[in-house]
Amino acid sequence: MLPIYMVVALGSGVTIVTLLLAGTNVLVAQRTGRLVLLVGLVGLPLLLSAGNLSYGVAESSQTRFCLSCHEMQRYGKSLFVDDKQALAAVHYQNRLVDRDVTCYACHKDYALFGDVKAKVNGLRHVWAHYVRGVPDKIALYQPYPNANCLHCHDDARRFLEKPPHRPVLDALQSGSLSCLGCHRVAHDMGKVDAHSFWQAQ
Amino acid sequence: MTGRIKWAAAITGAGLATQLGAALHWTPATFIVSAAVGVPLVLIGSVLFLVAVWRNLKERGAA
Repeated sequence: MLPIYMVVALGSGVTIVTLLLAGTNVLVAQRTGRLVLLVGLVGLPLLLSAGNLSYGVAESSQTRFCLSCHEMQRYGKSLFVDDKQALAAVHYQNRLVDRDVTCYACHKDYALFGDVKAKVNGLRHVWAHYVRGVPDKIALYQPYPNANCLHCHDDARRFLEKPPHRPVLDALQSGSLSCLGCHRVAHDMGKVDAHSFWQAQ
Repeated sequence: MTGRIKWAAAITGAGLATQLGAALHWTPATFIVSAAVGVPLVLIGSVLFLVAVWRNLKERGAA
């Protein structure tokens, strides 16, 4: 369920529209009544819909939203594995990304239409979940772009000063060398299956 | 005019009710139903209302 205030707002909207529908004959006859109809049947519903849609889009970026599909739950568990090389676990456990939007932070493109592309891909996921069926092996639609890593690491001192990065900075920038070429483990599913998880003391 | 406005109100109400239903049972699928059915119904209802008002004003102007 969405937060109670959103439910109450939408419920109030439905009630108001129903009351206006019932009283249309009376309201149409008066100038003030016509104004009430305009606000109640156009302004208020549009405002509520915009708010609901905006909230829904924001909510769909949340980690809990991604993990609400059982297919993703193993990947959610991979955030907790005891593996200092696994990218997802390292980023989550060290709070390198906002934990509330962990999936989205790494899997959305940061280009102009990155958000739109991520949402369209989300629609494809829902289609696969309910209609087409989920493939046995879940894979990215395209090779993981370096730009998503560099969005945060690009000018980070820890990244720039690491000796192995220095000779390949241009190649990483151009995309001719993938970050995952060296950082091979994104999600350590082996440790998920082995139930090898890290816990803060 | 009244009939058209009632239609607009009914469609708008259906759109808001769809969004309310999705908000009560929030899943990726119901979010899509809310965005792809609920919101367009509200938009259609609003447009129908405005068309009804515009036609009424036009008829009054002609009279």
